[in-house]
Amino acid sequence: MADAAGITRRWIAGNARALVSVGAVLIAWEAAARLELAPPLFLPSVSAVASRIAALTADGSLPIDLAVSLARTFAGLALATAAGVTLGIAMARSRALHWLFDPLVSLGFPAPKIAFIPVFILWFGIDSLSKVLLVAFACVFPVVIATYDAARAVRRTIVWSAQSLGTSRRRLMWGVLLPACQPRIFAALRVAMPVALITTFTSEMVAGGGGMGASLMYAQRFFESATVFAYIVVMLALGLAFDNAMLMLRARIPAWREDG
Amino acid sequence: MTSATARAAGRGAAWAWRIVPIGLFLLVWQALGSSRLVDTSFLPTPIMVAHALGDLLSGHEIRDNLLVTLWRAIAGLVAGAAAGIALGVGMARSAAFRGYLAPIVGATYSLPKTALVPLLILWFGIGDRMAIAAVFLTCLLPVVVHTVHGVTATPPVLVWSAQALGASRRQVLWRVLLPHALPDIFTGLRVALGFAFVVAISAEMIASTAGIGRLTFMYGENGAYDYMFAAVASVVLVAFLADRALLGLGAVCLRWHESGAGEA
Repeated sequence: MADAAGITRRWIAGNARALVSVGAVLIAWEAAARLELAPPLFLPSVSAVASRIAALTADGSLPIDLAVSLARTFAGLALATAAGVTLGIAMARSRALHWLFDPLVSLGFPAPKIAFIPVFILWFGIDSLSKVLLVAFACVFPVVIATYDAARAVRRTIVWSAQSLGTSRRRLMWGVLLPACQPRIFAALRVAMPVALITTFTSEMVAGGGGMGASLMYAQRFFESATVFAYIVVMLALGLAFDNAMLMLRARIPAWREDG
Repeated sequence: MTSATARAAGRGAAWAWRIVPIGLFLLVWQALGSSRLVDTSFLPTPIMVAHALGDLLSGHEIRDNLLVTLWRAIAGLVAGAAAGIALGVGMARSAAFRGYLAPIVGATYSLPKTALVPLLILWFGIGDRMAIAAVFLTCLLPVVVHTVHGVTATPPVLVWSAQALGASRRQVLWRVLLPHALPDIFTGLRVALGFAFVVAISAEMIASTAGIGRLTFMYGENGAYDYMFAAVASVVLVAFLADRALLGLGAVCLRWHESGAGEA
């Protein structure tokens, strides 16, 4: 018990400035709203937003939107990882494939993929499929580039040793190349995660079809400011939670560390 | 002289060799449409798209809308970069300032910034100010984070040497810390540039009366798919050229730096 209290006290001491600044922002926001420095339509109070989050959770609409958006995000990320790792390794192993795909990857990497929403809607409809594929399209480029760089950086002596010991192509891939590429691929996924979230939310905001983004736009259309803020706060928490989760995974799994 | 022209010719040949796959890609795309394997109303052939693009370029529609988007992206980026560098230097130099600001930067860094568009519409209405504000907020954070990293990574020996030779605080900042942070700042700018286009176009697709994002969507809704593809192609090209231009600028600004020569 005393130990727990000690740990809590030390945590508070270590994060004093963080607590002060986040607390100050929240207090200033609540005060500005209470004193009606801005009309409630523009700035609902912290307490109003918090109770709206509770209400939206209680009536089930927020959990459903979350589930829909997250399913799209992770389906897209999974597709991007599978395609990106395959293409990245293929480009690293074959000069011809590198020659063929490198210009397309260089052209596609800086392109704002969100501009392709109308194209994806035309091809894949306005439902989940177009959104999942757009997320995959947006996330595949960083994964390809990271995997290619990582596979190129694998020391040749390691590959030669494996081959001279009679390793099959398949074993070489799964036993040598992929494990060696893991830290870079993981780093690329950390970059791709926010891209996946922003692409999901934005395509929902633009094309509707349920999910966090669609509900956010719906609330905005009816000037439900507290609901707009509620969705934004949940999106912020989501982005933060995923980034922290990935950092924790990296700390736990030695193979995913850049230096490990 | 001859070696210089030979090198230029060599670079030209290498460049042409890199273009070939894009030509192949266009050929396959054209063949899909010409052979009627794919319905050209779903996938207009490159020739149809090129016609549409030529038509758009001769008029003022794409130019006006593309320039609106470019203005929003660049204005937001420049403002975000200026504020981001200032904040980043402040955070790097003062532990207290960093202690207070870092949690806020950390908490908002991973927020998908397009989610703020509905809020910014409430505050600024629909138009340039809303879009620029969204781009500004998006570009601010990557620049802050990379500036902090670059400035704090300056070897103390450099700062001490400058101080020992009588450099003022201002001179240390401009002559030592900022130049040392410049490669990192450019990395931040490149991240920010990518986001700037994404957010400017998203804001236009969500709510706008002008811009290339809105134009693309309008062509899609009217079924003018060749024009829609032409608009998307123009976005891809402009974003690619902007990225290359930033890399070029970085190479010029960092020509004294070991990383400057190899890039671009």
